[in-house]
Amino acid sequence: MSVRVLNPNAEVLNKSAALHMTINAAKGLQDVLKSNLGPKGTIKMLVGGSGDIKLTKDGNTLLKEMQIQNPTAIMIARTAVAQDDISGDGTTSTVIFIGELMKQSERCIDEGMHPRVLVDGFEIAKRATLQFLDNFKTPVVMGDEVDKEILKMVARTTLRTKLYEGLADQLTDIVVNSVLCIRKPEEAIDLFMVEIMHMRHKFDVDTRLVEGLVLDHGSRHPDMKRRAENCHILTCNVSLEYEKSEINAGFFYSNAEQREAMVTAERRSVDERVKKIIELKKKVCGDNDNFVVINQKGIDPPSLDLLAREGIIGLRRAKRRNMERLVLACGGEAVNSVDDLTPESLGWAGLVYEHVLGEEKYTFVEQVKNPNSCTILIKGPNDHTIAQIKDAVRDGLRSVKNTIEDECVVLGAGAFEVAARQHLLNEVKKTVQGRAQLGVEAFANALLVVPKTLAENAGLDTQDVIISLTSEHDKGNVVGLNLQDGEPIDPQLAGIFDNYSVKRQLINSGPVIASQLLLVDEVIRAGRNMRKPTA
Amino acid sequence: MVGMSMQPYGIQSMLKEGYRHLSGLDEAVIKNIEACKELSTITRTSLGPNGMNKMVINHLDKLFVTNDAATIVNELEIQHPAAKLLVLAAKAQQEEIGDGANLTISFAGELLQNAEELIRMGLHPSEIISGYTKAVSKAVEILEQLVETGSETMDVRNKDEVISRMRAAVASKQFGQEEIICSLVTDACIQVCPKNPTNFNVDNVRVSKLLGGGLHNSCIVRGMVLKSDAVGSIKRMEKAKVAVFAGGVDTTATETKGTVLIHSAEQLENYAKTEEAKVEELIKAVAESGAKVIVSGGSIGEMALHFCERYKIMVLKISSKFELRRFCRTAGAVAHLKLSRPSPEDLGYVDSISVEEIGGVTVTIARNEEGGNSISTVVLRGSTDSILDDLERAVDDGVNTYKAMCRDSRIVPGAAATEIELAQRLKEYANAEIGLDKYAITKYAESFEFVPKTLADNAGLNAMEIIAALYTGHGSGNTKLGIDLEEGACKDVSETKVWDLFATKLFALKYASDAACTVLRVDQIIMAKPAGGPRRDAAQAAGAGAEED
Repeated sequence: MSVRVLNPNAEVLNKSAALHMTINAAKGLQDVLKSNLGPKGTIKMLVGGSGDIKLTKDGNTLLKEMQIQNPTAIMIARTAVAQDDISGDGTTSTVIFIGELMKQSERCIDEGMHPRVLVDGFEIAKRATLQFLDNFKTPVVMGDEVDKEILKMVARTTLRTKLYEGLADQLTDIVVNSVLCIRKPEEAIDLFMVEIMHMRHKFDVDTRLVEGLVLDHGSRHPDMKRRAENCHILTCNVSLEYEKSEINAGFFYSNAEQREAMVTAERRSVDERVKKIIELKKKVCGDNDNFVVINQKGIDPPSLDLLAREGIIGLRRAKRRNMERLVLACGGEAVNSVDDLTPESLGWAGLVYEHVLGEEKYTFVEQVKNPNSCTILIKGPNDHTIAQIKDAVRDGLRSVKNTIEDECVVLGAGAFEVAARQHLLNEVKKTVQGRAQLGVEAFANALLVVPKTLAENAGLDTQDVIISLTSEHDKGNVVGLNLQDGEPIDPQLAGIFDNYSVKRQLINSGPVIASQLLLVDEVIRAGRNMRKPTA
Repeated sequence: MVGMSMQPYGIQSMLKEGYRHLSGLDEAVIKNIEACKELSTITRTSLGPNGMNKMVINHLDKLFVTNDAATIVNELEIQHPAAKLLVLAAKAQQEEIGDGANLTISFAGELLQNAEELIRMGLHPSEIISGYTKAVSKAVEILEQLVETGSETMDVRNKDEVISRMRAAVASKQFGQEEIICSLVTDACIQVCPKNPTNFNVDNVRVSKLLGGGLHNSCIVRGMVLKSDAVGSIKRMEKAKVAVFAGGVDTTATETKGTVLIHSAEQLENYAKTEEAKVEELIKAVAESGAKVIVSGGSIGEMALHFCERYKIMVLKISSKFELRRFCRTAGAVAHLKLSRPSPEDLGYVDSISVEEIGGVTVTIARNEEGGNSISTVVLRGSTDSILDDLERAVDDGVNTYKAMCRDSRIVPGAAATEIELAQRLKEYANAEIGLDKYAITKYAESFEFVPKTLADNAGLNAMEIIAALYTGHGSGNTKLGIDLEEGACKDVSETKVWDLFATKLFALKYASDAACTVLRVDQIIMAKPAGGPRRDAAQAAGAGAEED
């Protein structure tokens, strides 16, 4: 072989061998992720190098943690991760869709078909499906008053595929409310304005939405209040600690008095800044009001002491992102200098309190007036539960955001896939000339993998399910799969909706990767052995 | 075909070297269950008042002799991922309630063992999970009905009421000595209990372990016991005001590096004098404010010490920041950062502060009988370190139980009475159920039997007889029939006065079921290659052995 001549150490897989390797890899990955799909999917346990445990049902997490080595599998995994980056969901579907496309192609190729023809068919089918998707989608009007029900349904559909039912239903409300909380008319939704904080405490069902902010640190002074009501909040980024001068300076003194004077002088500028804050406090606070300083920079012990003596709660080293969120949640503005402090720059919160869990301190800023930022406070008895919920919440938030931005949803529970397949087989295929028809057919059948896998994971008979679904669709009824009993249901009534953008991305990227993989006719690896020494 | 085209098929080929992938019922689920069973058999024999002690030597060669499950599993350093889930559940229980860790692990182990039987019968894990989940919610419902009427409200300052709730928890750690320990702990807790009992902080009850003597020599100090000597020569002070300085008692220093500029010999002489004058001025100011004791969080300068001695001020050094804060709470003082004249309201007060020698250890005891209700210390005496450690754990459990009862004072019958009642009622519930859930719920109910079984076994009684007798009793409506381990017979718990906190049972039940269900839900395990780094050969061998079988 030619490459051998050029580099004697190179390894080459050519023609059918290369194709089979890629197909096998795609199918292998599909096998791994298959059992994750849908609400009845099982959980995988990932054990890290140091023995840490992660439990997940989320395809994206799994792919990220799994350190795959096979080149084909890496390509598929990357597509899936891209799917997650763009739409936040549908990773598992992407992987199994690609796997199924490869599986269907394998059959055709074994019968002697050229991959190129298949690829042409895929392209036609892809375009037709995207068109069909646009007609199939259910529009949702996103006016000023959002239809909360539909958002809840979408969020619930996503969350139930990540967590068990009871918890998913509870998180649905939290996720929807938090997105609506940060949503501003005429502006893109910035999901970063939802702070996700976790506490290892109590049970997973104690997870809740805090309209306000939770900071994962507390005051550092023993005499500061642990709980304060009616708080004016000063969000600032001012250093309240002694900082060394840039130049290398030294003090010279020849008696103790002089030294004392220097000690005081050294602190003067910091103390003045603190005093300005105290002045403001005195100006705005009545008897029942409290004052909270949340500083992005540090506050050193002497300053803390000064603040504490005035009854001010001081929090130092807040995270940058929280400064932005604080302003959104409490109002006011973040100040960078104490020179022009005005009462207008203050925010307001009804309740500020500290919660101590073992060594960790948390500060809650709650009961704010018009929150444009909020916190999802995840609780769980152990780290893996928390991680699992965190991943799910992230996906849930994305799905709500997608719905608001797409202004439409797609019927779920496999309804779209079956409908698209019937459309491809009954209408599109006839319009295609020549052998590309087979490519369209393979694509159409590959779409069925979603309802098939859903049924398989629920322990139902896949053949039965597919037959009953397709026959209903042939009668003109758009139905999905009821995972409880395997009967067809109307997803609209059951409230199962998927994101439009997720499906679109899925149909867009799946065939592209499958085509690329099918058109590989040689795999060359120079230098290293492709197979593992253990094999 | 070329030979190398035959890539190994499946997931294994795709992962990095050293990764292991386990999937399916036999490979993953059953193996996981077995590991968890192993773990629970270890802890089980330590359950209850007659539980056996375990001798655990951890990786630092430290010896533990204890029957406290939380400590055992913590020091065992479990490697197996599924067993680790149980350990995490136990830790959560320990953090949340501070007691009942053994119940959590043993119960989860029992649930899994029963699940295994169901799997072998042909049930799918998801069906078992759904049954178990139903059973948990039902069990919680029943548990709430079992709450002793009238226990919803309690006076957390009433010693008898507190002891009645604490006794079972402490007895399971130190059987036979629970009366002494309970009374010590209760006194200490009641003393520091704040106005609003839900804010009770376990940190305010300190434990000081002093080798020597016996449990009978243990006592309560209303205040703090510091394991250090006073700095100066003044070792005793009565009814004294205290000034606390967090930053240290010494000459002040600038943040920027300072240099003393001296031109002549006189200046040098004068410099030392000004220093002296300055320090004297400061110490004098403190002395004039009325303070008789100075507590410093940092270093104490020689010169400062000299003047303190001269003004007859006792000097103490507490270098731990937290310890210093506690001291401030004890004395009611406000800490100053720098050495300066303290204002009268910042001064604290102690009834007496003295350096004493107990069992060869020099300790400083600060007592505050009247105002000082914020910190109390249990001074434990015992003949060996491990006895002291074990006593400390019992005290910790007691204090945690106190905290739990401050939040939720409801109690349920102890001595396995609750478990049998739960088992019985759940079985009735299962019988009414149709469908596959029935089997799982029945097994869940049976799992509760392990508590009386283990209690009886550990006490050397005939478990089957006891369980049968309990069922008969409960069947005829006596919901409070429990085991009396001393007489080896069944007795009404209102006579034996064995009560458990509702919260302990509730959390243990939930955490255990949660962990068991999580273990059952996992059907695939992907294990990364264990990270490198120094590790003992023995541990490696043991770990490898556990993974191989």
